[in-house]
Amino acid sequence: MPVAEEVHFLFPEGEWALNRIAGDPAHELFKRYGEQVPAEDWNTGGTKQGVYLMGPNGEYLEGAHAASGRADHLRWRMERALERWAELEASAGYAGRPVPLGDAVAPPEVEEAPLALRVSLRDLPRADDPDAGRRVTQRDRRDRRWPSFKRWAWNQNWLTLEDPGVLLPPTLRKRSATGPLPDEVGPWQDLDRRFVERLAREVLVDNVRGQTPRWPASAVRVAELEARVLGTAGDLCTLEYRGRAHLETDAEAHADELVGQATPASYAPALFGQATWNSRTREFVALTLVAAGERSGAGAFNQRRDDLGPAPMGIVLDLHVPRATAAEPSLKPPGLEPAGER
Amino acid sequence: MQYAALLVLAPLLLGLPQGPGSEPPGAGEEPVAKAGQYALGPATYAELGAFIRPSADELSFEDIGWRNAFWPAVQEARALGRPILLWTMNGHPLGCT
Repeated sequence: MPVAEEVHFLFPEGEWALNRIAGDPAHELFKRYGEQVPAEDWNTGGTKQGVYLMGPNGEYLEGAHAASGRADHLRWRMERALERWAELEASAGYAGRPVPLGDAVAPPEVEEAPLALRVSLRDLPRADDPDAGRRVTQRDRRDRRWPSFKRWAWNQNWLTLEDPGVLLPPTLRKRSATGPLPDEVGPWQDLDRRFVERLAREVLVDNVRGQTPRWPASAVRVAELEARVLGTAGDLCTLEYRGRAHLETDAEAHADELVGQATPASYAPALFGQATWNSRTREFVALTLVAAGERSGAGAFNQRRDDLGPAPMGIVLDLHVPRATAAEPSLKPPGLEPAGER
Repeated sequence: MQYAALLVLAPLLLGLPQGPGSEPPGAGEEPVAKAGQYALGPATYAELGAFIRPSADELSFEDIGWRNAFWPAVQEARALGRPILLWTMNGHPLGCT
């Protein structure tokens, strides 16, 4: 039964956070399991991020914190867990019924949101670094050193919206469900200010290589996003977006936030996108918004200390659709040769 | 080999001519969004988005068939009598890091 979960809900660091979830059945089961894990694999007092294998009542089978960085070690642990499971299953009389294939590709709050956008991030090609933006190769997969992922890193986030209407031109947003749709190209209209700032602070971040917090409000120098109607066909209305952003922290104004490895940072992208809105069902059926521009600096945990830039980075937001109906993305722009073995 | 990508993407991003006889992307196609030297428009955003998106290979971890919450998975594992593989991170492993 493969399950992915935020560690903060299971075994957070710090006494206060632990006390807050005391008695929670998920935490209590994970804690009981942890009491069986060898000390060198449990990281007592530290983060419990990792991969853990257990019986359905928390029986220890295998596992370790920070286990996902070594695929060969993890495989060895999984094989040993299966051997132990075979013994436990027989001795405890577990039913061992087949496990239906799960279909989760996002955290629960994303699957439940009225509208969710999948956010993908990647470095763009640059003249001084032939590795920037390239894909993982078989040689990379054999390279088991931890930082080697920086050469082919990409990442994803999710943006959820309670009100999809914030992505509509205001005049279309205010239009009644039965009113006539505009039948010609409309004027550019600013989108909801609070939404645009949220988009800039939460989405236009550099976490290609790892975790980055949202931008502080005072880092937002420019955050603009406009939309207009391009045309209609039946109930479907085609929209277009354009915008730009400039986010920047500096050493003096943001000294309190520049902790650890963090340095002053910036990202200044242009944004462009298109969408299709079904005015009858009042939902988006397609939406893509692309951002591209130069980033600089490093966060405390985003692994950019050796790549301060400036260098180009791209972000694309796509309407989250069930995986079975999602189109296969292109691996590369026209003219890019396969990376192959390197 | 990534230089080939650079040769293709850089003109797209910078709004430069892409070759003899070609026009800058977005030429005659307003609007184009600009920030500094970067420009995006109808002629460029789709292929740039395709470049940025993860490939099926990069998304192959989704084929594992994840559950996205621990306690419901425990209940299901108990009902089926099956073991659990838990992947846990700061930020949800399925996309909040």
